[in-house]
Amino acid sequence: MTTQQTALEHLRVIRSLLEKSQVYRAISAPAALCGGVLALIASAITFLTAGAMGARGFLTEWVGILAVTSAVNMFMLHREARSRSQPFFSENSRLALALRAFTPPMLVGGLLGVFLIWFRGELALAALLWILCYGLALLATEHFSPRSLVRLGRAFLVVGGFFAVIYFTQPDLAAGGKGAAVASIFLGTTFGLLHVAYAVAVFVRTPAPQIAET
Amino acid sequence: MIDFDQLDKVIHEKARLSIMTLLAGHDDWSFQDLKSELGMSDGNLITHLRILAGAGFVEEERDDSGSRPRTTYKLTKPGRKAFKEYIDVLEAIVRAAKP
Repeated sequence: MTTQQTALEHLRVIRSLLEKSQVYRAISAPAALCGGVLALIASAITFLTAGAMGARGFLTEWVGILAVTSAVNMFMLHREARSRSQPFFSENSRLALALRAFTPPMLVGGLLGVFLIWFRGELALAALLWILCYGLALLATEHFSPRSLVRLGRAFLVVGGFFAVIYFTQPDLAAGGKGAAVASIFLGTTFGLLHVAYAVAVFVRTPAPQIAET
Repeated sequence: MIDFDQLDKVIHEKARLSIMTLLAGHDDWSFQDLKSELGMSDGNLITHLRILAGAGFVEEERDDSGSRPRTTYKLTKPGRKAFKEYIDVLEAIVRAAKP
């Protein structure tokens, strides 16, 4: 192999690894952006209509956002696995690891939140539960997630904790039919703004060196 | 005449080049992620990371705030510059071969 052929081969290896690392790390950003924008829109609608859709309408709205965002995330993960010629799901895949860590807090928080809304009409309390349990779920993936995702989990816990203090120290806050408006502020700030901020931070990270086509 | 003598000898090794490339693509890689992505053993990976850290190309960051300590690695500024120069030399070699 000549010097030039060796150099060419090295450049191909570098380009392939760079592509892998970028796809691998950026994968959650499009889903976060999609979920964040949908959450902001839903929060604005709920706030402006003063929760006219009712507790069950509110629940349907947010379950819908979860479904759409999860579908986008699954699509991105599938695309990533295909580009790396790896199986989408296997026993020891990153997706399996993530699901094992993510599911318990999401299941507990998700179900309790649904019960609070469906049976008690406690929208703001359910929103707090979702925010805090989602933060815990993100932190549960810290051993195999990029640090940016762990920071997002911490941000959910900090902001969620702050909202919890406000909610419990201000008894009149969510009283008198204001539950939907308060819940929309809680959810819009966290699932909306924090997700959009996370996506933007990932998109504007330090760019990798560019390698010319050879 | 451009040749391999102009390439940085620390980077010009398959495993270290792969590590540098992943870190250049996105910083903040955990040890486990690097190991899993490159299919290297713990001993092999730590040896190459130490060589790169010794050259000042890679820095280690330890986070003890969680339930378990987490060690991540990223390129330093000199490391990013050296990697860019390495690629530039490779590209110059390829360009020189073109008629």
